[in-house]
Amino acid sequence: MPEIILRYQGEIWQAIGETFIMVGASILAAVLVGLPVGTLLYLCRKGQLLENRWIFSTLNLIVNVIRSFPFLLLVVFLIPFTRLIMGTAIGTAAATVPLSIIAFAHYSRLVEQSLLDIPKGVIDAALAMGASVKEVVFRFLFVEARSGLVLGLTTSTISFISYSTIMGVVGGGGVGDFAIRYGYQQFQTDLMLYMIVIMVILVQSIQFTGTYVARKIDKR
Amino acid sequence: MIRLKNVSKSYGTFTAVSRVNILIDRGEVYGIIGASGAGKSTVLRLMNQLEIPDEGKVFVKDEDLTELSKRKLRASRKGIGMIFQHFNLVANKSVYENVAIALKLARVSKEAERSRVEECLAFVGLTEQREKYPAQLSGGQKQRVAIARALANQPDVLLCDEPTSSLDPHTTKEILGVLENINQTLGVTVVIVSHEMDVIKSVCDRVSVMSEGAIYKTIPIVKTGIQASDRSPERFVEELTDDA
Repeated sequence: MPEIILRYQGEIWQAIGETFIMVGASILAAVLVGLPVGTLLYLCRKGQLLENRWIFSTLNLIVNVIRSFPFLLLVVFLIPFTRLIMGTAIGTAAATVPLSIIAFAHYSRLVEQSLLDIPKGVIDAALAMGASVKEVVFRFLFVEARSGLVLGLTTSTISFISYSTIMGVVGGGGVGDFAIRYGYQQFQTDLMLYMIVIMVILVQSIQFTGTYVARKIDKR
Repeated sequence: MIRLKNVSKSYGTFTAVSRVNILIDRGEVYGIIGASGAGKSTVLRLMNQLEIPDEGKVFVKDEDLTELSKRKLRASRKGIGMIFQHFNLVANKSVYENVAIALKLARVSKEAERSRVEECLAFVGLTEQREKYPAQLSGGQKQRVAIARALANQPDVLLCDEPTSSLDPHTTKEILGVLENINQTLGVTVVIVSHEMDVIKSVCDRVSVMSEGAIYKTIPIVKTGIQASDRSPERFVEELTDDA
């Protein structure tokens, strides 16, 4: 192990921990909010089961507006909101707020896209069998879209890692912030490079796992 | 068994079906034929309310489907099987699961589900394929799975939307044989929409000819029966050079 890594061992582990908290919260928000929002975007579209122009346009606008922000500006813009719900706008916990918001917006689009890829005939068959909208979603749509949903979450997770590196500006910490402060700003280029290697390993393993799982559950 | 009374349906300015009246008797094999865009599929989809009519009534087993609540309509749909040109199977579910899903929606117990799925798969001759996925099956086998799924809840009516239009002539005859068998041994009323004259002539008792959203004429058919087919290459060559 290079000496410089051993010297900063404590800080590095802490940074990795912070990255996991921030990315973990983002994944949670993606699944708990992004999945339902993406599904509603799909269902409320013109010609779909719950066609509703008002809900569709509202959700569509919210998702687009969130995704239009340069992420750094979104973080700053949300500071009052973050302070309102977390009591503070500084630190790792506070950093999960803007991350969760970009996370659900990011994933909901990919969910909508995966659902749009399902042939509409499957829905006809489900309805003809007497399925309710809820049954169509859970027993047919999510089953058919499952590998797309997993691949989408993989892509999203990798974006969340990238977003989390910006959170240093509000004291969120994480590997990216550590690399900038200890590596780049203190001219310890080797330390910076080691941190980049850690990020590459992280991204590679997530992509590998995601692709593997998606292929395993795809019977089409 | 099925009665459409003055039913009309349009999409925007396009009139798909206008003032159609149909009366289908219990136990009949009823055909609907016509060119593309004549409205025949729409008429079929009105029979289980996959399309909601703008005007008119749709009775199935003396129940007016247009008056039912959503919940009651879902219950009634379980007694009306349907199959499609492109089979519409769930690609991520095995053959067994595709049939079982119809029973799960009807809240059938696990044991009853197992025996009923086996019965249905045996009826269509796919017992051996139960663990396979749709992607591993031929077109004819996929349609058999779809038929087994449609039969799972013991329907009185089977609606068939171009059931053989993406199958080769030999497989078409096999599937028509299965549909005829369903009609004769189970007493199920079968409605077949097709643009293929041979399909209608071989199994239907009566047929409605549709044109531009209306029924042009309804006539009884002298069934030719399903001709035995030979799919050897010699036969193809013979057929192709016959008229020359």
